[in-house]
Amino acid sequence: METRRDVFQAIADPTRREIIDLLARRPMNLNAIAEHFDITRPAISNHIRILNECGIVSIDQIGRERFCKIEPKQLKQVSEWVGRYESLWMQKVDAFEKYVYELKSKRKKHGRK
Amino acid sequence: MAENDLAKRTLTLKKTLDAPLELVWEAWTEPEHIAGWWGPKGMPLKIVEHNFRVGGKWKYVMPMPDGSEFISEGQYSEIAKFERIITSANFRPMTEGVEIRATFERDGDKTIFTFSVVHPTEEYCRQQEKMGFYNGWGSAFNRLNSYLQTQHQN
Repeated sequence: METRRDVFQAIADPTRREIIDLLARRPMNLNAIAEHFDITRPAISNHIRILNECGIVSIDQIGRERFCKIEPKQLKQVSEWVGRYESLWMQKVDAFEKYVYELKSKRKKHGRK
Repeated sequence: MAENDLAKRTLTLKKTLDAPLELVWEAWTEPEHIAGWWGPKGMPLKIVEHNFRVGGKWKYVMPMPDGSEFISEGQYSEIAKFERIITSANFRPMTEGVEIRATFERDGDKTIFTFSVVHPTEEYCRQQEKMGFYNGWGSAFNRLNSYLQTQHQN
């Protein structure tokens, strides 16, 4: 079964968030990343694969080493998403404000109701 | 629960409305008016229930263009006339278990209006995350956005 990958899936797991934090500082190879965690190297490798499929981490093969690097462009989606969420409430409050002014001018025109 | 934790989970919007307190209160609390602003412009809103008293429930339903329904519902836990309303709120299929606080304060002929959304605990957030909470939000907004775009063209 084909699984859909997106940036939100990438950040849904705490280990993957830590990996993102690590790689945000500097590119690292798999062994260096694995040293920061108590879980097995294959488990880390699996997280990296998911991050790669989500477009957050790119992997460069240099000799026998595979270097992992952050692709910040994808992560921007997260802040955009949060911004959109905030703006939904703002839209609601703005719509309410507009309605209040419409009601106010209607009342003024017709007297009370 | 610590207050600073509460602050982290709360989104607050504050506005001074150029209208008297009584009018602002009326527009926020009476169903005929709520139907005029709750949903995006042009979106029909069905007020299924509006029991405006402490412990009373409210439920508004917006039919979505794809045939599904966007449901907002909750239960009032505090009502202080011309001052404050606190209600639980679920927005399905987006999120559940937030608390909405609206406060009203007279400022001459104007009204200082504060709107807060208190989000669930961090634990609840993580649980929602695992359940695909983000994807759920995303699709609801996408639907809403595409609907709004068709509205603007008209």
